[in-house]
Amino acid sequence: MKVLIYHIIFLSTIVLAFDQDATYLVLNHFDKPLPGIDQTLVDNFNNSSFNFDHSVDVLFDDLDKDDNPASKYMNDIKDLGVTHSVNFVLLNKIKHIDERLIIEGMLFNTRSGGLIHRRKINVKNYDNGSINEISLWVGETKNQIQKEWEKERESIMFLNPEEISYDKTPMGAALRSLVVPGWGQAYSGNSISAGLWAVLELSLSLAFISSYNNYDSSSKSYLQNRRLYDATDDEKEVSAYRASAEKDWDDHVMYSKLAIALASTTITGWVSNSVHAWVFGPRPYTNIYQKGMPQSTIPKG
Amino acid sequence: MRILSGVIVSFFAVFILCACTIYDKIFDNPVDFKANEEQGIEAATLVFYPKSQTLTQADSILVGSFIVFKEDSTEPFAGLHLKIEFPNDLIELDTILPGQFITDTSQSTPLFTYNYEDGNTVDIYAYFLGTTKLDLDGTGHLADLVFNPLASGSDSIHYDLSECTFIDHLDSEINVRGIRGAEIIIQ
Repeated sequence: MKVLIYHIIFLSTIVLAFDQDATYLVLNHFDKPLPGIDQTLVDNFNNSSFNFDHSVDVLFDDLDKDDNPASKYMNDIKDLGVTHSVNFVLLNKIKHIDERLIIEGMLFNTRSGGLIHRRKINVKNYDNGSINEISLWVGETKNQIQKEWEKERESIMFLNPEEISYDKTPMGAALRSLVVPGWGQAYSGNSISAGLWAVLELSLSLAFISSYNNYDSSSKSYLQNRRLYDATDDEKEVSAYRASAEKDWDDHVMYSKLAIALASTTITGWVSNSVHAWVFGPRPYTNIYQKGMPQSTIPKG
Repeated sequence: MRILSGVIVSFFAVFILCACTIYDKIFDNPVDFKANEEQGIEAATLVFYPKSQTLTQADSILVGSFIVFKEDSTEPFAGLHLKIEFPNDLIELDTILPGQFITDTSQSTPLFTYNYEDGNTVDIYAYFLGTTKLDLDGTGHLADLVFNPLASGSDSIHYDLSECTFIDHLDSEINVRGIRGAEIIIQ
């Protein structure tokens, strides 16, 4: 019983210590203006103090590429903590790529300088939810999430993601490319790749057709000259038809080998094109909703 | 869609494999000294043309007799004796005509005669009697033999090389090294 009481007192002390004295330096890096976000944070979390500084814009790029992202900016964070007299640095980044909204949040502790919390959201057609998501994100870090924020998020999320059916699939792309090279890539929206595959396969096919036509005409000419050779008893004609037939025979062997080699290359390329269409086929851009810190970015040590 | 794609690729593969046939390189015209050499028969060669023919009992059988020389080593000749053996149970001799070569393409009338006494051999004698030249030079048509079928079956006519002789205008003998027969099939 005593142990339980000590635990409750200890946890309460920690929670109260974080909540009551939490001071934040908020760095908002948005590619489009988001009016009212600063005031929203102040209003929603009135037990915390927020400083806003829009001048810091060179930090926190390419964090995922670093071996130890959690401690990469340790000294910078500590300096920011001293300069602004805050406990935490809260970074909010919003990027728009095509129709997608990418919201990234990071929370650094200025005493250690380390990254203590991170979240990434990548969703489509969610512009109006940016303020709500930032409130949710800060609320998560402070354990102060309001029900209406969650309801608003749920209103735009799929309740049953497993029921989502995709209009475009990798198999659809692969089969299209198997029918017409490049079609699968075009179907996946990769027009450059589609063009390259189409031109490559068209060139190979034309080269094959040309070789096959040459083979066919050489074969027919060989058979014709051999018939004429067999049909005459004139010494000069025999010699002439034989010379022509021998040349046609050599040509038909050469073009046959060339046609088979080109056909093999064309078929291999055709199948490769289909596999390529499948590998790079249309898949969900990323998870529909990604909550918390991705595994790949878990700080080491 | 999957079935269609599979069918297209399979059809393409089968089409290529079947379509690009390599034909056999066969040249076997008896009048062609290269073809004879390929069969191990040296020039000068006595041959029949065509080498094989299939006929019905209502048809006449025309067989040409030829002397074939190698292109770059011809030997001029003026007179000849051919001894030809044929299956007289299958065919009977009807007519013998001089070939265009020894008539100098119908410009001269050669001494041309034959000896046949109801057996299975016929002897042909010819001597070139040209007006502007003494000898013939190169590959050429010596005689045409016309036979009539007697029964159905197949057999061959051929030369008796030991009895065949070629001479030039000085009576010097020309060496004939090979012979080729002809196959006759009566249906």
